[in-house]
Amino acid sequence: METLKNIILSKTGIWLLLLVLAVVIPPMVGGYLTSMLILICIWTILCFSVNLIYGYTGQLSLGQAAFFGIGAYAFGLLTVKVGLGFWPAFFLAIVITGIFGFLIGIPALKLRGPYFILVTLGFSVIIGVVFVAWIELTGGANGLAGIPRPNPVPLPWGELSFESLLPMYYFILFFLIIIMLLFSRLVKSLIGKTFIAISYNENLTESLGINTMGRKIMSFTISAVIAGIAGVLYSSYNIVISPEIAYFAKGMDVVAYLIVGGAGTMAGPFIGTFILMALPEILQIVPSLNTLINGIILMLFLLFLPSGVSGGILSLKEKFSKKRIG
Amino acid sequence: MALLEISGLTKRFGGLSAVDDLNFSVKQGELLSIIGPNGAGKTTLFNLMTGFYKPTSGKIIFKEKDITRSKPHQVTRSGISRTFQMTSIYSQTTVLENLVIGQALHAKSGLCSSIIGFPSANRERKKIQDKAEEILSFVGLEDKRDKSAAGLTEEAQKRLSIGLALSTEPELLLLDEPTGGVNMEEISGLIDLVDKIRQLNITICLIEHKMRMVMSISDRIIVLSYGKNIAEGTPDAVANNEEVIKAYLGERCVF
Ligand SMILES: Nc1ncnc2c1ncn2[C@@H]1O[C@H](COP(=O)(O)OP(=O)(O)OP(=O)(O)O)[C@@H](O)[C@H]1O
Ligand SMILES: [Mg+2]
Repeated sequence: METLKNIILSKTGIWLLLLVLAVVIPPMVGGYLTSMLILICIWTILCFSVNLIYGYTGQLSLGQAAFFGIGAYAFGLLTVKVGLGFWPAFFLAIVITGIFGFLIGIPALKLRGPYFILVTLGFSVIIGVVFVAWIELTGGANGLAGIPRPNPVPLPWGELSFESLLPMYYFILFFLIIIMLLFSRLVKSLIGKTFIAISYNENLTESLGINTMGRKIMSFTISAVIAGIAGVLYSSYNIVISPEIAYFAKGMDVVAYLIVGGAGTMAGPFIGTFILMALPEILQIVPSLNTLINGIILMLFLLFLPSGVSGGILSLKEKFSKKRIG
Repeated sequence: MALLEISGLTKRFGGLSAVDDLNFSVKQGELLSIIGPNGAGKTTLFNLMTGFYKPTSGKIIFKEKDITRSKPHQVTRSGISRTFQMTSIYSQTTVLENLVIGQALHAKSGLCSSIIGFPSANRERKKIQDKAEEILSFVGLEDKRDKSAAGLTEEAQKRLSIGLALSTEPELLLLDEPTGGVNMEEISGLIDLVDKIRQLNITICLIEHKMRMVMSISDRIIVLSYGKNIAEGTPDAVANNEEVIKAYLGERCVF
């Protein structure tokens, strides 16, 4: 009994409870809420990408929406215009996104602090413009249509098709869970520890024989790949994509999600994305006000709770346990 | 051949020559102190030796290899490590975790094997954990193992920063004011630590202002003033050198 109680109250218990909820709730709610949950899952993945480069490596990138857009468009173009199948296109799209991350990372990460932030923002703006202006390739503002859902999976009792919402939701949830598990292993590994060390003190880390530039490029490339996966999933889910998805303000929104949830924590992307995406929905806020409200919430958090919700919970817990000892 | 050879080393910041045509060498196994008034260019010299600054001119040869233009992490990997004048540790995490990060350069596991957790990566982790514990006890911080590094006293932070520098397994260790900001009573403990490091056959360059300490532990001393090498020799020879006394005018009593 005691052990059961411990499991329920432990961190693992909370994660398992959330997993169960994420699996059982969608069939019980309508399509609208399920589509909302799909978007929350996709943006949580994107938020993990910001978490790696900013939360864990200390380099604030405002350009993750651009990698999301590159992943989405690469997948869309490879399936619609090149005619590749779902999985080859998926794989190639994230490789392409990774290459972009690597190539942008090399010059951008030589810059520190505000200069790096500005370069990532500039990159994001440029990518947004390219998607609008390169009409022959991207279809311009009209966007790109006819992007496929995943191939149906043959099962003993019939075919599992992803044309309907619910299977698509589980498909995306599956990716979110895999990414989260790999992410948590990465940040606990020795390589992950060097990312964190860079965010703590870059010069000290370099003096300890770590090629900090190489590690920052590695982290940025992985973060681009994660953003690319989110983009591919979005592209396949939504069937059509248009340049707004890579709009630079999206890159800032996602940073706001992360800071509100708690940068540099595993729970941060979930908490922040959920709060900032679900809240406007619940409060019936006009979408055009979203960015404004995100900005205000972000400012309040930076002023009063810079470590975010999960950082706040952690320090509350610490205070509590200290009291019990003392 | 000396362990380290410096020739014609110069670093200018605008019009100021912080290090000005320095020539000296460090012999295998010795403890060489570098002294000089504030702003003499001592820290700048360490920054040049470790690749944090690129020299305006001159050469640095370590173990017969030119490291003048090497990046700091390459210098560290070739066998030189350092502490910083502004004590540098990872204050956001625990003492042991600091020393685990210090071992990271020895890790060979690639990205995939460390994420997936191949047996080789797990074995490597275990080895690194053990080495971190070993250094923890070498610098005498066992009882602070799981404490936050931020909560350490200045003296313990110095020990930790030296432990970090030792994690890279240097042949030449550069210590920038290892007793700076530490209580008088605690200094002897740090001196003992420096002695222990010497017994490992690690060559040491030491920047210090505390003359009694410098005079007692150095094999040789170099005196810098305005970036120039104004005297060099045994502690006795340097203490009686006219130029040095001039440079330290008013500080003579400390000898
Ligand atoms: N990055 C820099 N840019 C410009 N000037 C610098 C820089 N680093 C050092 N200096 C200047 O070079 C000179 C030497 O400084 P340095 O820090 O090497 O002195 P120091 O001998 O270590 O002094 P202290 O005993 O106070 O630590 C000083 O005049 C300093 O202002
Ligand atoms: Mg100095």
